[in-house]
This record gives sequence, structure tokens and C-alpha cells, in this order.
Amino acid sequence: MSTEPDDIVARITEIVAAELGVPAEGLAPETDLRGIEGADSVRLLRVVAKVEQVWDVELDDADVFGVSSVADLSAVVASALQVKA
Amino acid sequence: MTAPHTSAPLDAPTPMGVSAAPAAPELPWAVLEDYRCFGCSPHNPHGIALAFTEHPEGLQTSFKLGRSYESYPGVVHGGLLGVVCDETMGNLIVVRTGLVAFTVSLRLRYLSPVGVGTAYTCVARLGSDDPGGPLTTATAEILDADGTTAVTATATYRNVPFGTARERIALSATEAGRLDQALTATAGSQTAQEMA
Repeated sequence: MSTEPDDIVARITEIVAAELGVPAEGLAPETDLRGIEGADSVRLLRVVAKVEQVWDVELDDADVFGVSSVADLSAVVASALQVKA
Repeated sequence: MTAPHTSAPLDAPTPMGVSAAPAAPELPWAVLEDYRCFGCSPHNPHGIALAFTEHPEGLQTSFKLGRSYESYPGVVHGGLLGVVCDETMGNLIVVRTGLVAFTVSLRLRYLSPVGVGTAYTCVARLGSDDPGGPLTTATAEILDADGTTAVTATATYRNVPFGTARERIALSATEAGRLDQALTATAGSQTAQEMA
């Protein structure tokens, strides 16, 4: 799995689209995750769980519950990958 | 495992889907006629008697937990789900290496409530560790009948040769000898499969 920042954003966008059932084309890095139609806490937690599986990382809950956009979540993943390296 | 689970309480969990599943690995502990592991022994009336089968990516167990294992009404206690994940990951390591695996850390993420009296499957997979290292990581997930993930787990285990683990396990000399043989056979079987 790529760890390049742009690739992380792209893959997380795909995951968000799949878990929330929305077209990926309609999502931007700055899109408010909680503002997406159909988003709720359980579905967003599924996004987090999928992200953890894809990159084999454990994200801190404090970080996870603080993110509001794809870009935020991508930054958390990038930080976790740096710690892991 | 040969002994039937005859002394389980009425509310005991029900291992599911054994007949439809692929091969069931022989757990080394089966040579101990009276082992009482809360997670996987068929001899512990208070346990959950998990039975494992091979999965294309690791090891799996199917289960249905009753109200004795409840937290909020109708919801399985999260700690029990940790037991299920830990058992599946730990036994995966044992049947793949023939080493005793002591849990070092276990982390769960609960995505949705797991219902009592409902069938679920736990699948465990090995991490991408260097073979022969002192630690092994594994992941597990609990899936409902539709394949939707309800719980994810990650854990790290310390791999311990039986000679070392022996000092921390309460076994008679006879039992220790039998278990040592079973673990050695498990390791040998795995090596043969890898070479084939």
C-alpha cells in the first residue's frame, strides 16, 4: 500500500465513498465527513477501521475522533506511518 | 478434540458451522484430557468452547453467545469479544509455529454491537513479521452473517518455546511431556507443509 500523501488521500477517498455509499467524485480532501449524506458515527468508525486494516496501523482514538475531513484523516495516517517506520 | 461438551450450561455458546467448514486443525492442547482454557476447552462448563477451522487467510471460529455473556440487554459483553479474538489469533500462531504464544498486548475497535443469540464468525490473520522473531502480530475481525465487520482486533504475542513456557504453566511431568510432543509435531507438520 502506497504511503505517498496524495495516494493516501486518494485511497481514503475511495474508502469513505464505499463505506458511506456516495460517489468518490463528489468528495474533496476538505469535505466535512460528518456532513456527507448518510454519515453517522458508526459508519465513520467503519471508515477508520478499514483505514487501519489497509495500512496496518493503529490510530489513536483522540486523533480519530478529532478529524473532520479526508485530509485530516490522511494526515493522521501519514503520522502513524511515520511512527511505524 | 474428542471429548463432547456435555457439561455446558444451557446458555453456553454454540460453535457454528463446523460441518460446512474446511479442515479443523488439531490443537496441541487436545492431548490434555482436562485442560480448562476458558476460550477453547470443551471441558470447561463456564467457558465458551470455541472450535476452530482453517480459513484461506488464517483461522476462523463461528460462535453464538447467549445471555450469560451479556452486557447491555441483548448485547454481548465486549470483554468476551476480546476473548474470542485473542483465542483465534493465539491459536492461529500455535498451529502455524508449534510455539506457545503469550499475549503481550491486545487492542479492539468496536464498530457495532454484537447481539446475544446471534451467529458471528471471527477470522484471524498473521501479521507481516519476520519469521523466527521474538514477537508475532496478528489481526482479527468479527463478522456478522452478512459479512459486515462488527469488531476489529490487533494483538502482539511473544513466541515462547515450550521448554521456557513450561515454567509458567501448571502441568504434571506426564502432561508436560505429552504437550511438548504435540507442539513439536505441530511445528514439524507446519514445516513439512511449507516445504511441500
